[in-house]
Amino acid sequence: MWRLFRKQATDADLEEELQAHLEIETKQWMERGLTREQAEMEARRLFGRQFGSRALVMEATREVRGHGGFARLSQDIRYAARVLRRAPAFTGAAVLSLALGIGATTAVFSIADTIFLRPLPYADSGRLVWVAIRDPSIGLEFLPSPDYVAWRRDDHVFQDLAATQASFSSTMLLGGPDPVEVHAGRVSANFIDTFAVTPALGRTFRPDEELPNGPKAVLLTNQFWRDRFQGRRDVLGAVITLDGQPYAVIGVLPRAFIYPVDVKIDLLTTLPVSPTASHRDRSMSTWAAFGRVKRGVTMAQARADVDILYAASKRDDPQMFRAFNSVVFQPLREHRAGNVRTLLFILMGAAGCLLAIACANVANLLLARWSARARELAVRAAVGAGRGRLARQLFTEIALLIAAGTVAGMVLVAGALRGFVHFAAGELPRLSEVSTDSRVFGIALLVSLATALIFGGLPALRAGHIDLHSVLQQAGRGGAAGGHRVMRRVLVAVEVALSVVLLSGAVLLFETLWHMQNDHLGFRPEHSLTIRLRAAGFQGTASDALTAGVLAEMRRIPGTEAAALTQCTPLSIGAFWVTFSRSDRPLPERFHRGDNIGVCGAGPDYLKAAGTRLVAGRFFADGDPPGSLAVVNETAARAYLPGESPIGKQILGGRAGPWKTVVGVIADTKNQGLNQPASPEALVNDTRTANAASVLFIVRTIAGEGAFARALHDQIRADHAGLFARIETLNEEIGESTASPRFNTVLLSTFAAVAFLMAIVGLYGVLAFSVAQRSEEIGIRMALGATPGSVLALVMKEGAALMAAGALAGVAAALVLTRYLATLLYGVAPTDPGTYAAVVIVLALAASAASFLPARRAAMLDPVVALRHE
Amino acid sequence: MQGTLDLLILQVLQWGPQHGHGIGQAIRIRSQEALQVEHGSLYPALHRLERQGWLASEWKMSEANRRARYYKLTPKGKRQLVAEQSRWKQLVRAVARTMKPVKE
Repeated sequence: MWRLFRKQATDADLEEELQAHLEIETKQWMERGLTREQAEMEARRLFGRQFGSRALVMEATREVRGHGGFARLSQDIRYAARVLRRAPAFTGAAVLSLALGIGATTAVFSIADTIFLRPLPYADSGRLVWVAIRDPSIGLEFLPSPDYVAWRRDDHVFQDLAATQASFSSTMLLGGPDPVEVHAGRVSANFIDTFAVTPALGRTFRPDEELPNGPKAVLLTNQFWRDRFQGRRDVLGAVITLDGQPYAVIGVLPRAFIYPVDVKIDLLTTLPVSPTASHRDRSMSTWAAFGRVKRGVTMAQARADVDILYAASKRDDPQMFRAFNSVVFQPLREHRAGNVRTLLFILMGAAGCLLAIACANVANLLLARWSARARELAVRAAVGAGRGRLARQLFTEIALLIAAGTVAGMVLVAGALRGFVHFAAGELPRLSEVSTDSRVFGIALLVSLATALIFGGLPALRAGHIDLHSVLQQAGRGGAAGGHRVMRRVLVAVEVALSVVLLSGAVLLFETLWHMQNDHLGFRPEHSLTIRLRAAGFQGTASDALTAGVLAEMRRIPGTEAAALTQCTPLSIGAFWVTFSRSDRPLPERFHRGDNIGVCGAGPDYLKAAGTRLVAGRFFADGDPPGSLAVVNETAARAYLPGESPIGKQILGGRAGPWKTVVGVIADTKNQGLNQPASPEALVNDTRTANAASVLFIVRTIAGEGAFARALHDQIRADHAGLFARIETLNEEIGESTASPRFNTVLLSTFAAVAFLMAIVGLYGVLAFSVAQRSEEIGIRMALGATPGSVLALVMKEGAALMAAGALAGVAAALVLTRYLATLLYGVAPTDPGTYAAVVIVLALAASAASFLPARRAAMLDPVVALRHE
Repeated sequence: MQGTLDLLILQVLQWGPQHGHGIGQAIRIRSQEALQVEHGSLYPALHRLERQGWLASEWKMSEANRRARYYKLTPKGKRQLVAEQSRWKQLVRAVARTMKPVKE
């Protein structure tokens, strides 16, 4: 406080000292015979000639006196704030650019931090490991149930070894008057202890509860407990019905609990872990295993022990594990980061590009302003402000801009992170752990510090460039910016190049999305619905009667064209994969891993309901003996029955059951997802539903989908209480399978659009400034006979040169960088020439528009006005 | 040259206290108008020298019948002046030697 006071006192002092100077001068002139007015004027004129303006002398003297570090800093900040306030358009543009750059970068880096760096949200999580056997032929990591049982029994290094379902949760039907589907995570009984979780209420699973015929128990997640049971404590010991079976509620998980597999879960129940599981069982499951390594055991020792366990598994069933199988033993954190590296690195690259463009843009704006202020800076240097002082002053301006940008950026980050968690669900792991906290703030601080460092060099450069004499000599003409015209152009070219990179990436992803949605699907999704029925009663053969009843009801709903029972949709492959076999060739050996074909049971109306085309032969009809006939898709015919007519061949028999006669060939559909070529698939006329957890129908209706759904729901509630139907249109299913590319596209397009805008604004800024600076030159040209057209061309050419240089560099960089996009692309090559041509053309058009405005201003210059400044 | 202005100010003040206007005028007159005080730098220089402890200042009535700040040399300033003078002479001698026409 007193510092401020003293500063004012000093200012008043100085004011008085200068006033005294003027008075003495005035008195001297009066003594020479001038009137008081004349003398005063003369004194002021002389003062101006000797010293410049009084304000400047005050400023310079004040700086010389110095106020000590803090006062000088606050003075610098006040001065910078004043300067920035006086140019609201510039300040707004700069702060917005920085906020976008810092916000986007912080959001992306926060996600990366969560995925790669944050410790897992479990106690002593460093000792948690992922244990699995990798099968490179299908690209999966899992642990077969017999091996899990054996390893858990025989290991010497794990405090606990827990198992869960590999990469999904089960949808189960929660019974009641109005049944609902719930997501159940199935785990081994020791799962809760392995992750060191203490239930918020109740207890964990007992060992006997994981036995195949043990008591059935569930743990509720905190959210589900609140939503479904209103957080009532008396839920403990209650019995709920899941898929028709009674389950005892034994506890509620804490709010902070996070399931280590990225699937939605409402409750946990147990996997059937049979102590006698063996490789020779008719059926085995593939699980995911998580180990907690004992204290005092090193990772290397644990790994060695797992190798021994795997060797024992191989000895037990050499046919099952081949040379290309290998053991995976990985800290859980590494495993959870998984294979999102590509996507995250692309995002980090894009955000980095955006920040770089923002910095270049603001640097450009700053340079332009400093050029315009060259005279002020030069005078301040002349009156003794000193280079260091000037550099500090300019740096303060930058720091203030960055600070404002960071604050605005933080607001954006909060929104961006929420958007990420919403849109990226299913794309990125561990998103449920993302939150806006001090870590995010720290990252924002790091990002803006880095920004400040990139900028930090500028003022020094700038201050070093001030050439007093030339600036003062030219000062009246405002044309002192020669020195860093080059720098500004380079910056704009860099901006253009970076936005070409981002735009190319965005366009490639957009094309991918377009291809996925518009490629030949092989079926007609319009007016086609899938209905999944779940009921406890589907166990046993009674379900056939029930499904037949429901099918008949569907056919009776007005508008239904076709309805069929099926095990697959045109977008999903059949119920199971088998090795292709045919009766006129030797049977494939057991565990043969090639020649896969998906098998799907389908009713006679399937083809019509799905809108799939029949290529040859016929489809199934009512009255065909169930399980005797098959229809193959074109890919299967090409791959396994090449050069011969498939009709009449006997396939898929031997160990797999009776031979099936091929009666037809159908068109390929996108049965592997939209971004994959079709897989070989066979439909068989067997839709018996014994022991199915749910049954699937496909229906084509000319009534509205909504009307059909309502009618069916009413029918089911009336006739089959306890039955649950989930109705989806095939278009919705397509939407789900394009969620991931859509996410990529939206994200990168947003980055690219902002980058593009900034680059164009930057280009416009440089040209507009250049025209303002060259107004005399242009005036002279016009006075000497240059036509407005040639002046227009002159400025446009300058813009075109910048744009061409930037575009060239950008395309070169994009060709190198978009290779990393390759795994995310479908239907378009990363080097697709059309894409780059389109990007360059769009950019050229925008750049021409950005150059046209300043060019027209130049062409409309009145030479008389332009030259009068001289 | 900044050093030059400092030396000139110290020189002027060895004859007694003077205010800013007087110092500027004295420099101009003593150098027969050859040396103009560099653009706007007189007052910053005075304040700098005061901060360095070579000058002291006090407010006194001036000939214009109002308060003016008078500067005078401190003992430290006098020592500085002597040192600057001898350095200046050395410099002048050195320059003079260099400029001597070389005998053919």
